[in-house]
Amino acid sequence: MAAAAGGGAVRALSQKEQDIQMMLAADVHLGTKNCDFQMERYVFKRRTDGIYIINLGKTWEKLQLAARVIVAIENPQDIIVQSARPYGQRAVLKFAQYTGAHAIAGRHTPGTFTNQLQTSFSEPRLLILTDPRTDHQPIKESALGNIPTIAFCDTDSPMRYVDIGIPANNKGRNSIGCLFWLLARMVLQMRGTILPGHKWEVMVDLFFYRDPEEAKEQEEEAAVAPEFAAITDYQGADQWGGDQWTSDVAVPPVAPTGADWGAAPAPVPTGDGWDQAGAPVPVDGTVPPVIAPTGWDQAPQPTAQGWE
Amino acid sequence: MADRGGQRGGDRGGFGRGFGRGGRGDRGGRRGGRRGGRQQEEEKWVPVTKLGRLVKEGRINKIEEIYLHSLPVKEHQIVEQLVPGLKDEVMKITPVQKQTRAGQRTRFKAFVVVGDCDGHVGLGVKCAKEVATAIRGAIILAKLSVVPVRRGYWGNKIGQPHTVPCKVTGKCGSVTVRMVPAPRGSGIVAARVPKKVLQFAGIDDVFTSSRGSTKTLGNFVKATFDCLMKTYGFLTPEFWTETKYVKTPFQEFTDLLAKPTKGLLIDAPTETVEA
Repeated sequence: MAAAAGGGAVRALSQKEQDIQMMLAADVHLGTKNCDFQMERYVFKRRTDGIYIINLGKTWEKLQLAARVIVAIENPQDIIVQSARPYGQRAVLKFAQYTGAHAIAGRHTPGTFTNQLQTSFSEPRLLILTDPRTDHQPIKESALGNIPTIAFCDTDSPMRYVDIGIPANNKGRNSIGCLFWLLARMVLQMRGTILPGHKWEVMVDLFFYRDPEEAKEQEEEAAVAPEFAAITDYQGADQWGGDQWTSDVAVPPVAPTGADWGAAPAPVPTGDGWDQAGAPVPVDGTVPPVIAPTGWDQAPQPTAQGWE
Repeated sequence: MADRGGQRGGDRGGFGRGFGRGGRGDRGGRRGGRRGGRQQEEEKWVPVTKLGRLVKEGRINKIEEIYLHSLPVKEHQIVEQLVPGLKDEVMKITPVQKQTRAGQRTRFKAFVVVGDCDGHVGLGVKCAKEVATAIRGAIILAKLSVVPVRRGYWGNKIGQPHTVPCKVTGKCGSVTVRMVPAPRGSGIVAARVPKKVLQFAGIDDVFTSSRGSTKTLGNFVKATFDCLMKTYGFLTPEFWTETKYVKTPFQEFTDLLAKPTKGLLIDAPTETVEA
């Protein structure tokens, strides 16, 4: 992550600049109308409508610091990531999945860190929270148990007992997802699991909170695709040429990765093809040359092998 | 405060009865008894906390390692194992009463002081419906609250430290207890109650001065305990050097702690959390 040296739009952006661009897109820099005195050092300016703007350069530095602390814990299972708020729950679960930590999504039962007689008693070495205000109970308990705490703090968040506060917007769903994604990527880069400079194949969208209705819609669309795959199965490999067979293979794996629906334009031709109910024959005749290359990029190789 | 339950609506019979029954053989001088037929229970200590596991395995040998990192002690067996030679003494058992529709509800409050007469003291207060339960609970709480006591010299630094390092004072409620270093041979110059506590702490000579309502034994004893806690809180020139940080036992023995304990193999490793 080389530091940027002036310049701008013409040459390629450094890792840090790319990250900051992403954070800007996710509205990480927007604070609230109030500012806690301990957060003043991270604030860039106050907008005319009263919202404080957070200095994203400092956010990035704090993220790096937090990542270093996370990497310093030998056993990742001793880290607990927590979010009581719904916007952070998915991000927290994904973060835990990719870094090996433990996630608590939803209500924090008081006494989890202090009451040794509880079944859910645990003594973590590090605690990561999305919001010091809503997650105030774990903060109080970690103070009693000598547990260092990292938290994403908004401009008006209380900083009591928070050891590393990462200045950021913890109100927006995109913002929280983006921050956890960045933190996870930094941790994995520091551990050496991902090489720096390479894009992480996991998408940010995976960390974003999905409304239950939205999730249902996507699942329905994904459910439609596999149905067609099943039908072609019965109609037999004999009739279909090898070309068409591989194209059928390529498309189904693409559809279910729900994240891709966000980037709608590319799969549209296929989408239309599926909607025209019935045999995919006419569509496939034209589509294979277009779809196959992208399909191979996105679909993981093992699935294809399975089919063949 | 003073629990003169007799003033409440009479019923001196109940007061006297409750007091007499429990107080007969249990007051003062119970030196770690009650261990009679309970050997088996004690040996089967299954640690619940990480610290407990480390102590049981023998990775932590001195209680000072726990004090260094300010780790909370939740299991009394930890202290029992690390500080052998702990003696306990019941300071007082007072009946306390609560008024209910159907008369008074009497409970017994036990004050227990625990110590090894060599720099470690603990104070436990427990209220329970039966005297024996209260005493047992108080002993456990006392062990959990064991703190180190700093001793120093009055004058020449010959021999072992024998008195408080400096003038310290502790307060609880209205009672303040002040301890002043004394020359060797002075003995503990204090009232009966704090004298007991100081003996358990391992302080040989000290001058004391107290103020406030020392009649309230609870506050008096807590004030001396608070005073003793402060002996290590006082910054003297010996502590001016920079601290050399040591890894916490949780970090040092992280591999050992990562292993799941036997009993939990059925469910999940200790660190799993079910919200």
